[in-house]
Amino acid sequence: MRSRSVLCTAAVGALALVMYAVPAVAHHAFGAEFDADAPIQLTGEIVKLEWVNPHSWIHIEITNDDGSKEVWMVEGGTPNVLVRRGLRRECLPIGTTLVVDGFQTKDLTLKRANGRDVTFPDGRKFFLGSSGTGAPDDGAEQRGRGTEGRC
Amino acid sequence: MRYSTSLLALCVAITSLATVSQAAAQGPAADAGRWVVPRTAEGHPDLQGNWTNVTVTPFQRAEDKGPVLTWDEVAVLEGRAAARVERGARASDPDRAAPAVTGNTGGYNNVYIDRGKIVAIVDGQPRSSLLTTPPDGRIPAMSPMGEKRMEEYRAFRAQFGRYDNPETRPLGERCMMSFGSSAGPPMIPNNFYNNNYTIVQTADYVMIQTEMVHDTRIIRLGEPGRLPEHMRPWMGDSWGHWEGDVLVVETTNINPMQTFSRFPPSKDRKVTERFSRVDEETILYEFTIEDPAYSELWGGQIPFKAFDDLLYEYSCHEGNYALDNILRGARYQERQGNQPEQR
Repeated sequence: MRSRSVLCTAAVGALALVMYAVPAVAHHAFGAEFDADAPIQLTGEIVKLEWVNPHSWIHIEITNDDGSKEVWMVEGGTPNVLVRRGLRRECLPIGTTLVVDGFQTKDLTLKRANGRDVTFPDGRKFFLGSSGTGAPDDGAEQRGRGTEGRC
Repeated sequence: MRYSTSLLALCVAITSLATVSQAAAQGPAADAGRWVVPRTAEGHPDLQGNWTNVTVTPFQRAEDKGPVLTWDEVAVLEGRAAARVERGARASDPDRAAPAVTGNTGGYNNVYIDRGKIVAIVDGQPRSSLLTTPPDGRIPAMSPMGEKRMEEYRAFRAQFGRYDNPETRPLGERCMMSFGSSAGPPMIPNNFYNNNYTIVQTADYVMIQTEMVHDTRIIRLGEPGRLPEHMRPWMGDSWGHWEGDVLVVETTNINPMQTFSRFPPSKDRKVTERFSRVDEETILYEFTIEDPAYSELWGGQIPFKAFDDLLYEYSCHEGNYALDNILRGARYQERQGNQPEQR
């Protein structure tokens, strides 16, 4: 019994030591999830928005050179900040065309990438497309608790 | 009996007087325009509400700085934060190509990020760091015991890869706890977003909920009845008491996986926090860390500002494709005959 207890203590201690190298500034290290050698640019229409934590995910359908279609998932940050700035999921209509710059996940068979830059085709930032600069308290956005958002 | 009756009457009179005085002190007519600390039914300062500790003041001080910034330096720091937001909002080149390979995957559009825009001000002083003890505002060196632990860590760590399984991934990545030390203790703002808290208070408990990732710490008030040493809740075993108008919370039994500033706590770590309601919009939060893994005590002061908005349930597991992607990525690299990078 005692040996089991000691073993458990050792295991917890060992795990604690594993956790030593925790990235302190993000939910995850971008370099752990995405391949820095696999940059990608995608142009396609929104088919689905996942307004969830810890990261929002935008699904866009792209058309390949041979005419075939693929749906890619693009990772963004927490939706909480966007909601507090009055930007709701309803503000971002399905069918909107986006241009996404990013890097693929390390598993290159997945159709997933980080949204390093997400814009409309004319270069305007996707999340700032309705009004204002999108900066906190720039005067254009409304509080998340309001009945109306920015869009 | 007669004596007792008189004593009772005196007590009632004193209590009534105290109550009237307190009411008068809080009454707007008695002290028009001056803020008076709001109190709960028990007479303690009311800490309840939503608060944020986001700030552009760094946790540790730059080595060439004193503890207090000049107002010119404040303008530079806050201006830099505003400029970063403005830059992040600019339109991109519509004819741009895919990102260059630089070894850095980058982050997200800046609109997601909320690193704060104001310098932390304590006692009217704009602070150059949140850490104030030791006096240089830097995390102290490890003790010989702490150094030994690190050596043991390195030896242990060398046995397996960082991407081998979910258990070797950080708590934040697994949606177990907030990343960094948002929930604490001590409660330190992260450099990203969602540095928001809700405090709820009763006569016997204080609850602190951290928005990211919906971590709730229950602080019991009164004489501590500590948990056995082997019981290690994520945020430890917190007991509080009032010292005048200051809520003092002492926490032990912190889970060894609840890392802070990249170092796991030793089993004997004790964190002491002090909550003082200093004005209508501010709780002054102070903390000290006693840990034999470090050569000396360390701690700091952070203003918690009233947060005039809602907090949202985090539901972190709902969309945590990231952990899946990270582990899949490592397996994919192995199938390709490559060893996953150890970073």
